[in-house]
Amino acid sequence: MFIVRFLARRLLQGAVIVFLVSALIFTLLRVVPGDPVRLMAGGMAPEALIEQIAEDMGLRDPIYQQFGRYVAGVVQGDLGQSFVRPANGAAVGGASFDDSTRGERAEVWDLIAQTAPMTLQLALLAMAFALVIAVPIGVWGGLRPGRLPDRIALYLSSLFVSLPNFWLGIVLALLLSVHLELVPAIGYEGFAYTILPAFVLAIEIAPFIIRTLTVSVAGVMGQSFIDIAAVRGLTRNQIVFRHAIKNSSVPLLNLLGVQFSMLLGGVLVIEFIFDYPGLGLLTINAVMQRDFPLIQGIAIVTAAAFVLINIVVDLCATAIDPRLDY
Amino acid sequence: MALDTATTREALLSVRDLTVAAEGGRVVLDRISFELKPRQILSVIGESGSGKTVLARALASWLSAPLHITGGEVLFEGRDLVSDPAHARSLAGREIAYVGGNPAGALDPTMTVGAQLVEKLRAVRPDIPAAQAREKAVRLLEAVKIPSAERRFHEYPFQYSGGMMQRAMIVDALISDPALLIADNITQPLDVTVAAQILKLMRELNENFSTAVLFICSSLPVACDAADEVMVLHAGRVVERQTPNALVVQPGHGYTRGLIEELPTLWEGGPEGRDTRQDREQAAIMSVRGVAKHYETRGKSGKALVQAVRNVEFDVFPGDNFGIVGESGCGKSSLMRLLTGLERPDAGSIFFENENVGEASPRRLRELRRRFQLVLQDPYGSLPPQSSIGSIVEEPLKIHRLGSRAKRRERARAALSEVGLADSLYDSLPTGLSAGQRQRLNVARAMVLEPRLLIMDETLSALDQTEQGKLLDLFERLQAQHGFTYIFISHDLTMVRRVCSRIAVMYLGETVEVAPNERLFFDPGHPYSRALLSAAPTLEERRYRPEDCLLEGEPPSPIDLPPGCAFAGRCPHAFDRCRRENPALRSRGGQALAACFLNDETPEEDRDE
Amino acid sequence: MSSIDIAPEALPRRKGRKISARIWSEAFSSIEFRIGLAVFTVLVAAALLYPWLSEIDPTKMNIRAKLSPPVFMGEGWSWAHPLGTDQLGRDMLARSLVGLRYSLLIGIATTVLMLAVGAMIGLFSGYFGGRIDTVLMRLTDAQLSIPMIILAITILGVSRPTIPSIILVLGLAGWPVYARVMRSTVMSERKKEFVRGAMVLGANDWRIMFTLILPLVLPPIAFVAVLDIARMMIFESVLGFLGLGVQPPTPTFGNIIADGRKYLMNAWWIATMPGVFLVLTLTSINLMGAALERSRNKIYGGA
Repeated sequence: MFIVRFLARRLLQGAVIVFLVSALIFTLLRVVPGDPVRLMAGGMAPEALIEQIAEDMGLRDPIYQQFGRYVAGVVQGDLGQSFVRPANGAAVGGASFDDSTRGERAEVWDLIAQTAPMTLQLALLAMAFALVIAVPIGVWGGLRPGRLPDRIALYLSSLFVSLPNFWLGIVLALLLSVHLELVPAIGYEGFAYTILPAFVLAIEIAPFIIRTLTVSVAGVMGQSFIDIAAVRGLTRNQIVFRHAIKNSSVPLLNLLGVQFSMLLGGVLVIEFIFDYPGLGLLTINAVMQRDFPLIQGIAIVTAAAFVLINIVVDLCATAIDPRLDY
Repeated sequence: MALDTATTREALLSVRDLTVAAEGGRVVLDRISFELKPRQILSVIGESGSGKTVLARALASWLSAPLHITGGEVLFEGRDLVSDPAHARSLAGREIAYVGGNPAGALDPTMTVGAQLVEKLRAVRPDIPAAQAREKAVRLLEAVKIPSAERRFHEYPFQYSGGMMQRAMIVDALISDPALLIADNITQPLDVTVAAQILKLMRELNENFSTAVLFICSSLPVACDAADEVMVLHAGRVVERQTPNALVVQPGHGYTRGLIEELPTLWEGGPEGRDTRQDREQAAIMSVRGVAKHYETRGKSGKALVQAVRNVEFDVFPGDNFGIVGESGCGKSSLMRLLTGLERPDAGSIFFENENVGEASPRRLRELRRRFQLVLQDPYGSLPPQSSIGSIVEEPLKIHRLGSRAKRRERARAALSEVGLADSLYDSLPTGLSAGQRQRLNVARAMVLEPRLLIMDETLSALDQTEQGKLLDLFERLQAQHGFTYIFISHDLTMVRRVCSRIAVMYLGETVEVAPNERLFFDPGHPYSRALLSAAPTLEERRYRPEDCLLEGEPPSPIDLPPGCAFAGRCPHAFDRCRRENPALRSRGGQALAACFLNDETPEEDRDE
Repeated sequence: MSSIDIAPEALPRRKGRKISARIWSEAFSSIEFRIGLAVFTVLVAAALLYPWLSEIDPTKMNIRAKLSPPVFMGEGWSWAHPLGTDQLGRDMLARSLVGLRYSLLIGIATTVLMLAVGAMIGLFSGYFGGRIDTVLMRLTDAQLSIPMIILAITILGVSRPTIPSIILVLGLAGWPVYARVMRSTVMSERKKEFVRGAMVLGANDWRIMFTLILPLVLPPIAFVAVLDIARMMIFESVLGFLGLGVQPPTPTFGNIIADGRKYLMNAWWIATMPGVFLVLTLTSINLMGAALERSRNKIYGGA
């Protein structure tokens, strides 16, 4: 029952990680300067009102008490309520300081659940694009180390990795969307709006895949079992497709696991540029509005996603290479 | 294994004036000509650089740049392979099979052995249906004596031991019913007893499968054991070809003669009486009592205990040359870590000059380390790569804060000159040094602290015969001057025979026998010692034959040890009691101890055959 | 010795010079590195000298010369502003070069900081193993599981971004990858014979860690860190773009591009030209970094 023990152990470790993340974010948000209540109530609000709201919300209690309350909620599946967003959509706060009652505020969980599928769609399409671009280049480069394909892989990955995502997004939107009118870019009114953001994101991810694949394919091709396979009578195609690619996919999987957070970072910026209504845009707005519960909720959800993805990655890796043992 | 008497039959393989050169024109093989008849076994022997591996690869159409065939022909069943590379490639793996010397890396680690055997067979013979290929693979796995072949078929390469894997690779080669098998150094990475089993297997298969074998190896005794005829390769040329007996008795070429003379002997010529020179009344300098150490590993099936060292006992006396021999996995290296205090034993005690190393405080251990030192195995990995030679030797003095700067320098220089390293090397990096020089440097570093005991962990095994001899002379001189005591940890029986006064034999974490040199080699008290002696590569008249001393089978895993004596599974003399109880070390008189029940039951004199 | 050398001609294992010197010379002999170095040198020289030599103040506004396009690119260009001017008539070339200064400063400082933190944590974790390792690695995992950019914008968005705080935040958010790499190399290095040798000689842990292992494992990691300078420069510009980087009026790539985005339709160069600069700089750094990484892999045999 290797799999059960494995899952139990990893989920437990994952819970520890998520706990640490929430503690870290929670503390950070409370020690850095800047009072969210001031933002919620609006700049004109009298000091006494602010104090009262803060008191009501428990924001003046010691950090550990606030954290305890928060964790107790999280364990029951309650990520709390947004400071600023009402349940119906538009952000509150700003100039008016008539305190909207707390019942009207949006649940953090709902906000995340609404936007996460959009981001997932973007991320999956981006990943597909990235693999289509990077795998042929990377494998080809790895099969001919030091030769032209390898150089091409090197130059392309160096170029791709040097393109800042927000700049590339602007340039491509200008070219493809404004001038050539090939794909829509800003906002979201259908699947077509995912294509350009996903492509920009793919260009950001591709160089890492190219680099990992060239190195690992070249490494595998140098191993003795590949070398001797031809003498054993296997054909070149069998060697490359059945053995070399299979063996070099493990480092690629690990890369995807570790770089998951990089992917999310990219998503954030790209959603911001293209005004794509996903988790990333939600995050940026939450930060701009000092919406502490929302920031915390997003951090917890992404940390949990990170943990789960890494468990899946490790399971896939063990399925491919049975020597691995996590 | 009679020679094929039908001499009229056409040669299977006929090589004529085969010449291979490197890019720059350097000739690696120079006009090689020989013939191989069907079903014949021909050994090719030569030192490294003689071109034997290049020959194997040229025949298997596996030469890679910068090497090229520049002349001659290779006729296989009458057709030339050199002028028709496409034909040669179509034969590779099908008619001409190849087994190499690196079984561990020969198969894809991510696929089961069985799947790869089937894949290979169907790659070279696509007409065979998968089910039939599978059946054949299992049948052959059984034929090479892999236990529970059906189950093993579905296991991955990493689940096979080295010897097991080499058997599987032989199956991989034979599965397509080739006419020629090229066996390139197939026993080299294996332990002697396992190698002996593989050789025996190969001879049987040669008879059953009517495959001709080109057996390439670097050890003359192995070559002679394996083949009908031996061909000697030297500097890219064939210098002679004879039957093993004729070759040993009447070598026709000076090179072969030198090779035979250089071979160390186990029994002939006698030892130089290194035995019991020292005064036995003295107290032991190191005394090991019932030492055990296990490690935890986490496998798929949960945690497991590897019992690396189980029960080790011996005494080392001042001035001794004490040897510890055993094959890989016997716990030698774990024992070394215990003896040097790098790890602490789980049970038992190690006394160095009456102080328990296993229980000493870290501070005390550091002090003790001035008096016992270790010289490591790998001449390349054991030196810090970025320090100069001088500072490497000074380092121990700095660590123990001995002497002033000038004083340290002086002592380091003295140590270097004592081991025969030129003073001019003092400020250079060790990167340019040869393996032998590096080991001298290691010795210098160890002795600069003026220790009493030096532990040599396979110190000589990376060196060639001549260099070994020089270092052994150096050790002897240093011993005479400084009164060192040595512990040699080694897998090499001939080396141990040459230098050690007393020897402990280890098997699966236990000392099964401790005996003076002469006694061990002429009257071993444990069946495992006898099996080791029987498998040792030598041209001498064997005192013990592998057939009598060793059963088929692999050593048990140290994770899952059977009850009773660990050797019982491979011991031809094992009886019921051996499978129930583990024998303890007992005296056989004259300082010889052995852990075997046979010694209780048969009077000593009878057992020496 | 259980492995054999099956290469027909085993290369002599000679290493004449120190490893880092060999990596440098190997990298330097590659064409990528030279191209990268040449471009990088020109850009850095320009960044250091041009604003000073041309005496153009990157923050000086000149409404009459506003929205002038780059040379040859549309109507009304002039040699005085080779890359054109922005909506307030500020010279784009000078602004880009000043932006490059800040970008480089933050990129390098951040990389050094995260390398130092990561290397120390990895060294301790890998060397001591056991409980220390478990605690440090859980911490690393936790840190790794929050996207760096989320952490950075959270801190900078809630507090006020200044140059030191940007460096600190990016540096502290980026160390986990280094800690992991460092830990695994230290672990494999620790098993090597020369470490065992030093222990038997009586050297204590600190001595082995800092005089034996660290000098050996740090250079290969540091070489690859060059690639991270470029990565950090991108992060810096992302922060600037989101308005969380160095604050205006100081020009940075990020805030120039963010500004230019509003004028994208009638003055496309404001948003794109600084980006070209940034891409050039990053490509040159990445080329050098990749060449260094490759020569390191070559010399370490793919390690």
